[in-house]
Amino acid sequence: MPDQAELLPGTLDLLILKAVSLGRLHGYGVLLRIEQISGGALQVKQGALYPALYRLEHQGFIASEWGTSHNNRRAKYYRLTSAGRKRLGEQTARWNRLAEAIGRSLAVRPQEI
Amino acid sequence: MISQLLARLRSLWRGLRHRADVEAEMAEEFRHHIALRTEDLISGGRAPEEAARQARLEFGHIESHKQNARASRGLRLFDTIGMSWLDVKLGLRMLRKYPGLSLISVIGMSVAIAIGAGAFGVIDSMLDPTLPLPQGDRVISIQNSNVRNPGNPNRQSLHDFVIWREELTSVKDLGAFMSDRRNLIIPGRGVELVRVAEMTASGFRVALTPPLLGRPLLDEDEREDSPPVVVIAYEEWQRRFAAYPDIIGRQVRLGSELHTVVGVMPEGFRFPINHRYWVPLKLDPDDYQRGGGPALFMFGRLADGVTLDDAQAELTTLGLRTAARYPETHAQLRPRALRYTRPFFDVDSPAIAWAFRAAQLAISVLLVVVAVNVSILVYARTATRAGEIAVRTALGASRRRIVVQLFAEALVLSGMAAAIGLTVAGVALTRIQEFLERASGSNGSGLPFWWDLDLSAGLVGYVAGLAILAAVIVGALPALKATGRRVQAGLQRLESRGSGMQLGRTWTALIVTQVAVTVAALPFAIYVAGETLRGAGTDAGYPAAEFVRARLAMEREEAPPAAHRAAYERAFEARFLDRAGELLRRLDADPAISGVAFASSFPGSEPYERMEVEGRGTHWVFINRVDVEFFSVLDVPIPVGRAFDSADGRDPAHGVIVNRAFAERLFGGVNVLGRRIRHVGRSTGAEPGDVEPGPWLEIVGVVPDFAGQLELRQDLLKVYEPAALADVAPVVSLLLHVRGTPAPALTQRVRQITAAVDPALQLHELRSAADAEREIRRIFAFVALVTAAVLLSVVLLSAAGIYAMMSFIVARRRREIAIRSALGADPRRLLTGIFARASAQLGAGVLVGLLLAAVLRGPVEGKGLLLLPAVAAVMMVVGLVAALGPARRGLAVQPAEALRED
Repeated sequence: MPDQAELLPGTLDLLILKAVSLGRLHGYGVLLRIEQISGGALQVKQGALYPALYRLEHQGFIASEWGTSHNNRRAKYYRLTSAGRKRLGEQTARWNRLAEAIGRSLAVRPQEI
Repeated sequence: MISQLLARLRSLWRGLRHRADVEAEMAEEFRHHIALRTEDLISGGRAPEEAARQARLEFGHIESHKQNARASRGLRLFDTIGMSWLDVKLGLRMLRKYPGLSLISVIGMSVAIAIGAGAFGVIDSMLDPTLPLPQGDRVISIQNSNVRNPGNPNRQSLHDFVIWREELTSVKDLGAFMSDRRNLIIPGRGVELVRVAEMTASGFRVALTPPLLGRPLLDEDEREDSPPVVVIAYEEWQRRFAAYPDIIGRQVRLGSELHTVVGVMPEGFRFPINHRYWVPLKLDPDDYQRGGGPALFMFGRLADGVTLDDAQAELTTLGLRTAARYPETHAQLRPRALRYTRPFFDVDSPAIAWAFRAAQLAISVLLVVVAVNVSILVYARTATRAGEIAVRTALGASRRRIVVQLFAEALVLSGMAAAIGLTVAGVALTRIQEFLERASGSNGSGLPFWWDLDLSAGLVGYVAGLAILAAVIVGALPALKATGRRVQAGLQRLESRGSGMQLGRTWTALIVTQVAVTVAALPFAIYVAGETLRGAGTDAGYPAAEFVRARLAMEREEAPPAAHRAAYERAFEARFLDRAGELLRRLDADPAISGVAFASSFPGSEPYERMEVEGRGTHWVFINRVDVEFFSVLDVPIPVGRAFDSADGRDPAHGVIVNRAFAERLFGGVNVLGRRIRHVGRSTGAEPGDVEPGPWLEIVGVVPDFAGQLELRQDLLKVYEPAALADVAPVVSLLLHVRGTPAPALTQRVRQITAAVDPALQLHELRSAADAEREIRRIFAFVALVTAAVLLSVVLLSAAGIYAMMSFIVARRRREIAIRSALGADPRRLLTGIFARASAQLGAGVLVGLLLAAVLRGPVEGKGLLLLPAVAAVMMVVGLVAALGPARRGLAVQPAEALRED
């Protein structure tokens, strides 16, 4: 397993939005999907997941409905709303700008100053 | 935005209303999660029991997750204060149980909330609107403010503009504009007076909006020798040019010059205010002295990463440098960077912005007054529930729990009021917007492009805040008082009386204040509402339906270069008089027009001045300088004296005609012919002695009062002086008596005749006089309606408050009355005693109210004063009727029954 990184504050919501944008998921599924798409590099604390899911639902970025999971249990599934899709786009662009700026700053060598 | 708001409300609603279901779902979801994790661990090789233990361990403490989840749904606040759905349900039950109180409270608070919300909507759209432009919040205004006189900005800043455009780095694309009106003349499509922005090309860069067709204005268009070009709005292209596809390159006449259309802006574009035509601003600073030139509005876009404060800091540095270099013109001037829209509403200093906010706060205070009234009613009700409160306390309910319940009950009341108030405010704001659009559209301008009176998220938040404030006053305050130290005593006395709450001096003071404020304020409010309503119903006094009116002016240079200003002014005046005279002749000769008259003002819009009336002192009088034919064209009879003759117009010591109110108020209706008056102050602010008095003018006729003013009093003193065109130039009010009803075709024909005389001649506000009159009356009716709504809620609440307090006080003495009656006291004496006390309280209130009214009397005169005793009497009657019921019930109680109560 590759080295696991701590999530930066404020990034969990973005990752959840990304995970459910790929298809509807139940809570545990969101956890697994984030691990999967980060190549196992990011692991979400289970205690932080549900408050984040409920917050996003409360804010109207994701919506939920009850369905049946693969083991025939009743499960609550989350999907992205159109407001969530817009939010994901904005947050992704913001993250990319930030990452690029930090990357650029860290790559500077003394002779370039 | 709305969908997110709805999602929040839905989630909050479910969390409160279906708390048990939500908790059960949460538990089920957590169980499902742990089960799946357990299965994964088992398939990874763990023993089932160990896997289940590990999964639970990883998941963490379920209860704390539940709490965090509730906080995520915004329910923490409700959990902290301990409010539940049950409290809300109890509140709804109370609403049904006390319908009278609920109805009065909700009506009163709805009116106050609607007014507060309406004021917020209007003030907010003036102070901090969202500019519907790309990154609109980065667009700012810049102007020179005068340090000695901050409310009076100096806009003659052409030279500063040139410096700032060169040197400012915190603001990019600095631009400037001035507004003008020109006749748009398209052969075969009529003539129209349109609003034109003379703007620098940078304006289009600031607006960040590309044209739909063609190009925007370019910097080279601003050169003096560049050919005249114009950019037009999409709507004008559709309306005036029938969406002609080859519009680019076509020539149109704007006033005295032909312009080539070079671009069409996209739909809805109105930058910088409400403009639909843009021509380049062509100004050469060399033509003017420093501090001279036309008045300009300046704007720009903040450079990336720069804040308004940064821009202000740079401007301050530049401003101080200019002040040091040019002290004679700039010693007192300091440039200021402002939010874009503020200069247009003259909100150009922080003090003025604060004044607006203070006004908003003052309007919100209306709700506090109403809420205090409601809280008195609620307190009286709470007092009757002292027994219930005492029992609940004895059963272990904390004080906080009871206060929260009573607060929730109040929140239901104020929440309903907020919902109604918000709906009313929403409708009213839409109506105001429509009205303003119509009013501003009728003079060809339209509303500012950012002006959108609507239910914004900020407004909804403000109303929610008002509702909570009202609930605190209405529910929490009486609850705190009701659950205070007397609860124990209430419990002790519960069996015998049902209420142990004392009212004492506080209530006497409240009754006195309530009555006093009502007596002092009501007559004034009734007077205002009555007079405004009367204004709305007043007849114009002349057959307005048969008239078309307009203000005649002529296109001119905003500020002619200093070198040839005097010659320009002389030539302008001569040309204006010549063209206006020619226009009047042509209009008079038109078969559809039976008469033409001019005046300095339209009837009903006259300015006022100070005049000395021989032997009667000086008075404010409304003055109109009118054509000698004025009264005959308007069909206004002259019952006393004579009309003007042509000699009057030429004589400096001419005769004047006064209205009936003048003759009656100053001379008691006796013959005023031959009496003399004279001007003593030309400006409204001048006092006698400030100005050399004019020659004595003899009164030669009296006309009936006609054309009311937008003033409360309708019997205003009016004086009409004969005038020649030159006396009223350069802006002349024209009244055209038409044969038959004025039709749009006639106004178009009048415009064409005018443009044929000279394309530079402009007719402003050309419309039917009846429409103009109707608009004024509509304003009267709206003001009267709002005043009446406030009035009604105040009367309702005051009467209800006084009734509740008086009946509550007397009800508390019911047992005492019954026992004294049982012991043989004379019922009449008992009643006298009760009424003496009630009358003393009410009388004290009336007295204080009358004193207050005497201090605040102000504009209430004459008949208005008669309302004072009437209102005082009504308040006395309401109070005494309130006392009567419980007193009679006290007397009717059987002595044995009264004694058994102990």
